[in-house]
Amino acid sequence: MDNPFIHSIVLLVAITVAFLTIMLLVAFTVLAERRVLGFIQGRLGPNRVGPGGILQPFADFIKTMVKEDLVPEQSTKLVFLLAPMIAVITAMMAIIVYPFGPTVTIPFLGKFPLVIARFDVALLYVLGVTSVGVYGIALAGWSSNNKYSLMGGLRSSAQMISYELSLGLSLIGVVLMSGTLDLHSIVEQQSGWYGMEWNLFKLPAPQILGFIVYLISAIAETNRVPFDLPEAETELVAGFHTEYSSIKFLLFFNAEYINMITVSMLATTLFLGGWNGPGVAQFPLLGVFYFFAKILFFLFLYIWLRGTLPRFRFDQLMSFGWKFLLPLAILNIILTATLAMIGWS
Amino acid sequence: MISVVLFILFAGMAIGCAISVVAQRHPLYGAISLVGVFVSLACLYVTLAAPFIAAVQVIVYAGAIMVLVVFVIMLLNVEHEQRRKPRLGYLVGAAVVLAGIMVAEAAFVIYFVQGPSTPKDGISDVGLTFSIGKGLFTSYLLPFEITSLLLLMAIVGAMTLARTGGLVSPRVGVLPGAQVLAPDVIDSPNAEPLETDTTDEAARVLKIDQRRRAPEK
Repeated sequence: MDNPFIHSIVLLVAITVAFLTIMLLVAFTVLAERRVLGFIQGRLGPNRVGPGGILQPFADFIKTMVKEDLVPEQSTKLVFLLAPMIAVITAMMAIIVYPFGPTVTIPFLGKFPLVIARFDVALLYVLGVTSVGVYGIALAGWSSNNKYSLMGGLRSSAQMISYELSLGLSLIGVVLMSGTLDLHSIVEQQSGWYGMEWNLFKLPAPQILGFIVYLISAIAETNRVPFDLPEAETELVAGFHTEYSSIKFLLFFNAEYINMITVSMLATTLFLGGWNGPGVAQFPLLGVFYFFAKILFFLFLYIWLRGTLPRFRFDQLMSFGWKFLLPLAILNIILTATLAMIGWS
Repeated sequence: MISVVLFILFAGMAIGCAISVVAQRHPLYGAISLVGVFVSLACLYVTLAAPFIAAVQVIVYAGAIMVLVVFVIMLLNVEHEQRRKPRLGYLVGAAVVLAGIMVAEAAFVIYFVQGPSTPKDGISDVGLTFSIGKGLFTSYLLPFEITSLLLLMAIVGAMTLARTGGLVSPRVGVLPGAQVLAPDVIDSPNAEPLETDTTDEAARVLKIDQRRRAPEK
């Protein structure tokens, strides 16, 4: 580990593995979404390509890639090209700070913590990268020179700015409890009670309220049902990505699913104990399993919500965010601070 | 060695983006370049061992303020600037002279002034979250509170300036029937009182709206 050469090789391998894992997870989330939605709506869903439709995402990928890459003649070409890149790069950048598992021992090489980058302000880094991600959607809507796209872009910037606030405030309870912004330390602090001392239950201030506010705001941040107004197909055709086709559309599509995965990772890390669970102290690799099991639970929740809930109206969305979620998040901060003061003294 | 490379990279990016902010003729391109400036500045803060400032720089400036600026530019649909002759042409000469003085000052400081010695024990903890939080809530509590009050006053002032009409009752959400009215009915200053099936509350709000629009004629 001290050897810088080995260190950089290990880092490179870690980044590659994380990237491939996330991309595979995206592919199979798309498939799972279609199958589960099919189940909820009483139909089959894609089941012909490969056993049980398992190769469907790859077929879709090839099909989308060979489509013609259209660029609207009146569009702002450079920004039109830049927007999907911003969207997918900012979505990807958040992945590096999440601890995928505890420190594991690799034979002949030594001990490695299963996290790509560990630094002092990891949580703020995630929030910062997420907030820059708004540009991808906003610029896509503007540069397409299409009124539906513009409406979608405007709606999404307004929505993401509004819900970012309650999202950030809902995390402060956890930060107050752990006294650090380093995600790795936050996870390690939740390892008591045989791996069940998650911040959701942790004394003296269980973060149940914060968790609920975070979950709702995270769904709004990722523009998913019931907050998918930026791409409301009944009013806006497809919202900000109406004019996008081929690989650029694929990038937006990927960015949405990567964002779903990263907000699930953040929820897991901050509220559900990250890789903690019964038996991790004995078998460290079990932690990786727990981590992904929790993420898959959140992804299933997303799909479930999409199958069951109708879409908000825009004024309902705004008043819900500002008049209900935001006060609730502030209440959570006050409660947590009070309980933590009582608990510590 | 690597820190020098990173510094040159990010400083170059910051200066390039800053020049682009001034040189771009489309406001949106200028705004995007300004985001570039903020992001490269944040990278510079990271190389200076101040990760907290870097993160806050990205969240507050790049993520919140510039999003609002881009939002407004998109809403107003601003076109390309018209290029015209500078009206205060003589200021160009003054600017060149002032720039020369500043470069001379910088050179003087670099070559003739003995600077404070750099700390020897490597990385300081000044830029870390813990020390910043501790400083804000202990020794710098009063400046911190005064700054927050100033920001609050700015918000209240902006709201007061923007709100010219009467106060709208919070009970009025979306005005019933307001969406189906033709624009000329709402906008006409001499319009008769509305005949649509609205509540008293909504009618009162619409009247306030008309009164506000009347002087624009």
